[in-house]
Amino acid sequence: MSEREEIRGCVVLTNLHYAVDDHTWAMINDDGTVTVGMTDVAQNLAGAVLHAKIKKVGAVRAKGKPVATVESSKWVGPVKTPVSGEIIERNEAVAAEAQILNRSPYKKGWLVKLQPSNLQAEIAELKTGDAAVAAYRVKIEKDGLKACEHLDGFED
Amino acid sequence: MDDFEGKKILVIQTHGVATPTRTYSPLFYAMAAAAMEMEVMVWFTMDGTNQLKKGEAEKVQLDKSSDVTLKTMLEQTLDSEVELRVCQQSLALWDMTKDDLIDGVEILGATSIIDLALNYDHVMYF
Repeated sequence: MSEREEIRGCVVLTNLHYAVDDHTWAMINDDGTVTVGMTDVAQNLAGAVLHAKIKKVGAVRAKGKPVATVESSKWVGPVKTPVSGEIIERNEAVAAEAQILNRSPYKKGWLVKLQPSNLQAEIAELKTGDAAVAAYRVKIEKDGLKACEHLDGFED
Repeated sequence: MDDFEGKKILVIQTHGVATPTRTYSPLFYAMAAAAMEMEVMVWFTMDGTNQLKKGEAEKVQLDKSSDVTLKTMLEQTLDSEVELRVCQQSLALWDMTKDDLIDGVEILGATSIIDLALNYDHVMYF
């Protein structure tokens, strides 16, 4: 299958690991760290993002705890980390210009890098590849989510 | 910015369905604080009470192009684990009883608000 799938226009990259209910993704880096962000569906649900308040470097986060708070004109909520660990880097570009999250949720819009503390067990609980696409298809249908729009373009 | 997780915020809402533009923001702030891992309660009193009457909040829609109503906002606030409380005495102002309230709201008496105000880290009054 391709590395890029679309469901109602919402992009899912199959090389990432997803917590579908929380609309977050994790990517395992070569050095063993994990990059975390919000999905294309998440940025569409939020609408035009106005601000992103990202937790500080050094913060230790358990799986499911927020690594950032994101707000648009119509929504405000947490971005919950799909894996536990210590924040070792945060995306200062997104902190300064949150609209990046709308244009590039999987690339320039990453939120934090973590030094994971329980990766082997927790990554197995996330969806990746075909399973991620299938799970997101079910989620989108079940929740009746509208088609994703990328009015300002989209960068994988 | 510093992290303030674990702090307690009390939001007091005195405005109701007669002033729609004063209804969304307190709930939005409450959700923001909850997303920032604070313990948050919204206390509805005076006119603020009437938005909690079943069937009222869905009539308040600030943006007609959006399907978001005040009821949506109240539901999202509850989903954010914000506690919603209403003043016992204010219910009488609107001929409301416990049975008139939307789900998820609990009733507290006037003395409770004093206890709450003293025990929370910050009070936001609207």
